[in-house]
Amino acid sequence: MPPKVKVVRRPEPERTSYLRATLKGMALTFRHLVNPNKVTIQYPEERPVLSPRWRGTHRMEVHADGRPKCVACGLCPTVCPANCIRLVGGEDDQGNRYPVVYEIDEFRCIFCGMCQEVCPVEAIHVGVDYENAEYTRDRFVYDLDRLMEQDHPTALLWDPSDPRSE
Amino acid sequence: MSQQPNPQTVTLTIDGRSVTVPKGTTILRAAEMVGIKIPHYCYHPGLSSPAMCRLCLVEVEGWPKLAPSCKTAVAEGQVVHTDSEKARAQRTGVLEFYLVNHPLDCPICDQSGECKLQDYVFAEGRVHGRSREPKRVFGRDDFGGDVLFYGDRCVMCTRCVRFMREVAQDDRLCVVERGSRSVIDTFFEKGLEGSPFAGNIVDICPVGALVSKDFLYKARAWDLDHTPSVCPSCSQGCNISIHTRDNLVQRLKPRENLEVNGWWMCDYGRFNYEWMNRRDRLSVPVVGGKAVGWSEAVNSLAEDLRAAIGQGAVRAVCSPLASNEDMGFLRALVDVLGGGEIYYRSRRAPDEIVLPGYPILARRRDLAPNVRGAELQGMIRVGDDEARGGLDQVASHEGIVLVLGDPLLDQGEDFGGRAAVYVYFGTYPSVAAGRARFVLPITTFAESEGTWINVQGRVQRFWPALRAPGEAWPAWRVLGSMLAALGEGPAPAEAHVAFERVAQRTPALEGISYRDIGTRGVMVREPALVSGD
Repeated sequence: MPPKVKVVRRPEPERTSYLRATLKGMALTFRHLVNPNKVTIQYPEERPVLSPRWRGTHRMEVHADGRPKCVACGLCPTVCPANCIRLVGGEDDQGNRYPVVYEIDEFRCIFCGMCQEVCPVEAIHVGVDYENAEYTRDRFVYDLDRLMEQDHPTALLWDPSDPRSE
Repeated sequence: MSQQPNPQTVTLTIDGRSVTVPKGTTILRAAEMVGIKIPHYCYHPGLSSPAMCRLCLVEVEGWPKLAPSCKTAVAEGQVVHTDSEKARAQRTGVLEFYLVNHPLDCPICDQSGECKLQDYVFAEGRVHGRSREPKRVFGRDDFGGDVLFYGDRCVMCTRCVRFMREVAQDDRLCVVERGSRSVIDTFFEKGLEGSPFAGNIVDICPVGALVSKDFLYKARAWDLDHTPSVCPSCSQGCNISIHTRDNLVQRLKPRENLEVNGWWMCDYGRFNYEWMNRRDRLSVPVVGGKAVGWSEAVNSLAEDLRAAIGQGAVRAVCSPLASNEDMGFLRALVDVLGGGEIYYRSRRAPDEIVLPGYPILARRRDLAPNVRGAELQGMIRVGDDEARGGLDQVASHEGIVLVLGDPLLDQGEDFGGRAAVYVYFGTYPSVAAGRARFVLPITTFAESEGTWINVQGRVQRFWPALRAPGEAWPAWRVLGSMLAALGEGPAPAEAHVAFERVAQRTPALEGISYRDIGTRGVMVREPALVSGD
């Protein structure tokens, strides 16, 4: 069976006035000027309100004495699907296991949050943060000091009142 | 056809599978033969079985109680259940008791990932423990030598105590206290310091109670790549596994081979691996001070060698770390160039260190893996016990001088200064290579495939564990290409081809191929090589 074709007859160009369509469009434009439900925000004077579950660039929690909470167990580089975490463990002067090298390549990161989920000591977190612009690419490999300096809020991966999403 | 029961064997049923094993075999071993792994801690094939971990208990039909399978000999017609309700409940219960005092410090424990307690609890343990009491805490203790002891993690299998008592026969560990307070300890302040085989107790510890200081917090077990290899530190040739991460050797572990080293290796070999990670390597072929590609290097060298043929005998120095392939091709090249003598120098320890409980294993006097291979190729031992000296007639030789692998640490800048052609095949830069027109980078054993012949006359294979730096080639490949450029057969492309070529011209290796050698090795055909040191 041949397909049915509907033929639409358009008015010929030289006999068409665009005035009505133009006015209609401009009306929409002016309506938006005074629309109270506008979505545009005046960044950077105004900041968007992010969800507490927003997963942005990482942050390493620190102990009161300034040491990182990380114990270099190696679970985050193991679970990381993007393979963006580089970790070399070692022994510190008190005999504790600690990360000698801890680097996250934020360009490689897919912000899945599994590093935070797997961390047994709640050290590494994805953060509620999005202002990451840098001048050079290598600045996107965050080392341990940089991760510890971050002070933005950390992401909530689940609702604390309903941790199992029941 | 009716079968007469053999008085030497016993037939039994394990988990519905019929097994015929020699008389006197334990149920645990019989189960292993049909692929049923019964969980166990205290049992180790190289040690006695005290049957004290209570984890290998299995149900034997008709018996009132569960039987420890590591200690119970098989009997004709026995019906064993390793996975019945009763046996499983027993294991779950025992594991719960193990976890009463075991700390949950898997994230910082070095054994994590290769820990038997982790494995067994994950497979059959309870999800939540019911113990509400506080855990007892011992903290960590330095046992001396390379061994650290975390008392909290110990499961009291006493493998370490029995290893020191039965195999090392150097009774330095014991169990002190009783019940839940029992703990492994050393005698007063006399730790494991100085014991040449104490590193093995770290291997046999099924949990993270005994850990290596050298490996402490260095890498996670699941990140390591394991490559079967042979220990390069003495002519015993213990079978080892090289554990690497990020192209660096992290540790060496013994690999079971009952003919050579059992389950053990000595600490000297175990910790002598840092040199494999050295970064100051030769990485590009250099001809006359200029870095060139391999084809240019081989062609210009062949040209020089062809011009030098007939100007007196060749003198060559070969490292006893070189593989049989390297040595065989070196011998072939020397023969093609008109014949000559090849010298090797090996460091020698003053005496052997025998493992008393496994006397075929010893740290041998020759601290190089392929002294037998060098002798097989007719090389001549020179120099003293520190592998120094003995090369005067090479240093001032006026013909062709070839150096393969020997670092020539004791030689001066003018080594080979009068040679017609001086070729240095090496891994590291050397002062004595300064006069060499050809400095060609070769791989270490850890970066290439090859074979060695140990002190028993056993040919053993090793596999590449690391990536070679830059353009370094295995020596057999360089020498094979050279021979090809001189018109002596095609260049071997793979190590097994190289080995077959060498085996063809070496009577002691005749008919042996890589496939025969496998991971366990085979004896050479020449009885003269099969002897002690």
